Amino acid sequence: MKRFRFHWLFLAGAALLPMVSPHLSEVLRPIFIMAILGLGLNILTGFTGILNLGVAAFMAVGAYSYAILTCDIYPFQLGFWGATGAAILIGLVAGVLLGLPTIRLRGDYLAIVTLGFGEIVQDSLKNLDVITKGTQGINPLPAPPHPSYFLFLGFLSVVVLINRNLERSRVGRAWISIREDELAASCMGVNVMKMKLTAFALGAAQCSLAGALWASFLGSSGEPGNYDFQISIIALCIVIVGGMGSIGGVLLGALVMVGFNTIVLETFTNFLKAHQLISSTNVFTAPGNWKYMLFGLALILMMRFRPEGLLPSKSVKAELHHDPS
Amino acid sequence: MSGGEVLLQQLIIGLSNGMIIALIALGYTMVYGIIELINFAHGDLFMLGCFCALTLVGALGLEHTGSVIVLLAVVPVFCGGMNWLVDRLAYRHLRGQKLAPLVSAIGVSFVFLNFGLFWGGLPMNVFGGGKAAAAPKDFPSLVSNANLLSESNVLFTAKDLMVVAITIPLMIALTLFVKRTRAGKAMRAVAQDRVAAQLMGIPVDRVIGQTFLIGGGLAGVASVIFSLYNNTIYFQMGYRAGMDAFTAAVLGGIGSLPGAVLGGLFIGFVRAISDQYIATRWTNVIVFAILILVLVFRPSGILGARHREKV
Amino acid sequence: MTLLDINELTVKFGGLKAVNNVTVSVSPNEIVSLIGPNGAGKTTVFNVCTGIYEPTSGRVCFSGTDVCRPFCWQTALGLALVGVITAKFLALAVNIESLWANAITGNYVYQQPFPWMKALISARETLAGHWVLPASIGFVVGIAGAFAVWQRSRRAPEISARAGIARTFQNIRLFNQMTVLNNVLIGMDTQLRTQLWHAALRLPLFWRERREAEKSAVEILRFVGIDRHLNELAENLSYGDQRRLEIARALAMKPKLLMLDEPAAGMNPNETQGLMGLIRKIRERGVTVLLIEHHMQVVMGISDRIAVLDHGEKIAEGTPKEVCCDPKVIEAYLGKDEGGGMRDE
Repeated sequence: MKRFRFHWLFLAGAALLPMVSPHLSEVLRPIFIMAILGLGLNILTGFTGILNLGVAAFMAVGAYSYAILTCDIYPFQLGFWGATGAAILIGLVAGVLLGLPTIRLRGDYLAIVTLGFGEIVQDSLKNLDVITKGTQGINPLPAPPHPSYFLFLGFLSVVVLINRNLERSRVGRAWISIREDELAASCMGVNVMKMKLTAFALGAAQCSLAGALWASFLGSSGEPGNYDFQISIIALCIVIVGGMGSIGGVLLGALVMVGFNTIVLETFTNFLKAHQLISSTNVFTAPGNWKYMLFGLALILMMRFRPEGLLPSKSVKAELHHDPS
Repeated sequence: MSGGEVLLQQLIIGLSNGMIIALIALGYTMVYGIIELINFAHGDLFMLGCFCALTLVGALGLEHTGSVIVLLAVVPVFCGGMNWLVDRLAYRHLRGQKLAPLVSAIGVSFVFLNFGLFWGGLPMNVFGGGKAAAAPKDFPSLVSNANLLSESNVLFTAKDLMVVAITIPLMIALTLFVKRTRAGKAMRAVAQDRVAAQLMGIPVDRVIGQTFLIGGGLAGVASVIFSLYNNTIYFQMGYRAGMDAFTAAVLGGIGSLPGAVLGGLFIGFVRAISDQYIATRWTNVIVFAILILVLVFRPSGILGARHREKV
Repeated sequence: MTLLDINELTVKFGGLKAVNNVTVSVSPNEIVSLIGPNGAGKTTVFNVCTGIYEPTSGRVCFSGTDVCRPFCWQTALGLALVGVITAKFLALAVNIESLWANAITGNYVYQQPFPWMKALISARETLAGHWVLPASIGFVVGIAGAFAVWQRSRRAPEISARAGIARTFQNIRLFNQMTVLNNVLIGMDTQLRTQLWHAALRLPLFWRERREAEKSAVEILRFVGIDRHLNELAENLSYGDQRRLEIARALAMKPKLLMLDEPAAGMNPNETQGLMGLIRKIRERGVTVLLIEHHMQVVMGISDRIAVLDHGEKIAEGTPKEVCCDPKVIEAYLGKDEGGGMRDE
């Protein structure tokens, strides 16, 4: 009997939500996109154990690729599907480009390099304003096909399905073995280099997809400053707070992290504004000014009391497909 | 200015900035060396030190150059104490784990960031009366900007002298501490093999706390020097400083103290050269491209020990 | 024709000679034991054979060939390719702004069809004269970098694993968070052909291979004796069962040579009997066995030949009878002043 996994519950619930509360479904699209970003990071960090502190770079690559390929200020104008497909491929190449020179680096050195890669991409996008229009961003972009809520949910579902399929297969097993004990995996003949590059490629491709969807959602590529370290950290926290390596955990993490920022904080701010409790001269009264503190404290407390995350992954339990008698 | 003079000027700029980066990198690499934690909060600790320095200047009405001593006496203690406290509260219970302390450090970084925001909003004159909490604050000129090489085109000011005069003795003192004293030996022992050190009777948690104290103190010294050198601080400056420190430490080999200094100076020089001869907006890209290049050929950093896994 | 040839192997760590001029060979279908006091260099020899350490001098040959990736024409071709790609990339990257301005924005008129050929020609013109320097730098850096990375991965453990050498570890290194079955399936990885797309899209090859692989894995676990623990996490097994699981995982690689590092450590007499039986069964299957052991009962009981190391040097070699009476061996274990022969423990 199959246990009900959280990720299926989440997707089913999200599919039914518009009937129950149309307003709430407005806010969920960014959560779907951040969930795809988190799932991309999950392949690298959750499954393979490669700490990546610069996934915002891949998201930026996807967003700008999509924008350049759809906006009518450039001749390409591929439309939603063509541009999204191209963005995924470009992300894949970017992942391989980052992975190749860094493949043999030890974990923490690699982490700093990924941090640097994030900076490189962000600065390059800012500087090459002939192409990227700098802080203005590339806009306007054509709207995504209707209905975009189910479109994004559909993308998320496909990503969840593919990730889950990979997790319970030779590929996922190899990734997890690298995370558990890279040396032993290598001694067992696992092609560590190839598997790490695959993780980079696939993770980057997914983050790039998230970027493309984000650009289509915004109707603009956004500015380079949007794809900064904070996004990378939010993605990392989604994966770790949700539960490393657990797909359902990433979805829950995205819900919690993004939901908190957009739903809870905004509602609270609106409430205070309505009751005129916010003063512009006193920095302590605006709830928005507390968000870093709350976020930080939540992380510290979470790690103190539940470091395995909200929905830790049950290890890949092999379902017996063969009668042992 | 002739070509040679321009180059010399860049070297001086690179030296001063590099020394500051090296100080921050030292504190960061010491903590990494002992518990393998990428301390994200280190850059923001540096930022808090700058705010502390500004508060002292405002509260005590410090005006002339000699009062730098006061700053150097108080701020490192503040930063060291904060660092020690954070270890006690947020990291101590997570010893031996890899990712949980990292996320915790990220949390501490955000908490510090918010402290900086609130601090800048305090109703003090030095903070602009608390009206614009997030805006950059001016730091008064306590050290003069006059060229010590009076006739030359090349600028070597009292500020540059201050940087060198403080950092070099400090680094020598640190080296002596780590190599000669008992506490320093204990730190090296815990860094190499925590379990063995414990078995030898070394109070590991206390030694780790001391490391945080000293690392924080170094960041504090760096923040005093930085504020006096650059005359402006803002609550988001920790990010840039942290990035430079991480890069310097990795370049030189994480965990290696001379490596951190080497890395810091290297980055200072590369930045100065790149700013002058290429373009400021590409400097970050060049620094990281060089980092990646160095790591391809020397995966453990320039002075890093080759990590041999025990099988 | 020997299977494993360790020839004048020397391994230095800094100033310390862990292994000094050791020569041992193992013929097919033998069971050879490597014994010696702690710190004699036995595990270091294992680590060199499986690519974890580099030899300072000497050679290790398996089935006649050195266990490392040779520098052949394919390697040179690959390096050159990387160099060319890096050169092209750098040439484009350095000039990207002018390329884009001239080729794309320069030729694009809003809502008119875009002249692709003209754009290509302007791109070529823009590039001409500006590509030599970045391309040359890129070429040199690309080749040097690729060579550095290749050099470091020449002796990766994967290579000896794929050549047919499997091993267990002195301090058990199982994949603790994975099940027993999955640990064995990792061992089988070199024989599986499922690729990324088969797994992601659940193509027929995936299902077929999974069925066969699990059948094989269960058979191996049965052979080793722990098939009742199929879905347990490896970390929950008893110590003796964990050692057996490590052996099962190594056997899943279908190796020609199985290297066991202290497989009997921590076992009681019953368990050592079982282990000896298992090792004999493994030899009957056609697998050659090289083992490091301290348990003299096991060593004397199953070895065809024994090699004795002390302080990094080989001090004796021969059949169990010959070795146990060799005075040098007795001296190494018991010290100079003790006399008498080596007794079974």
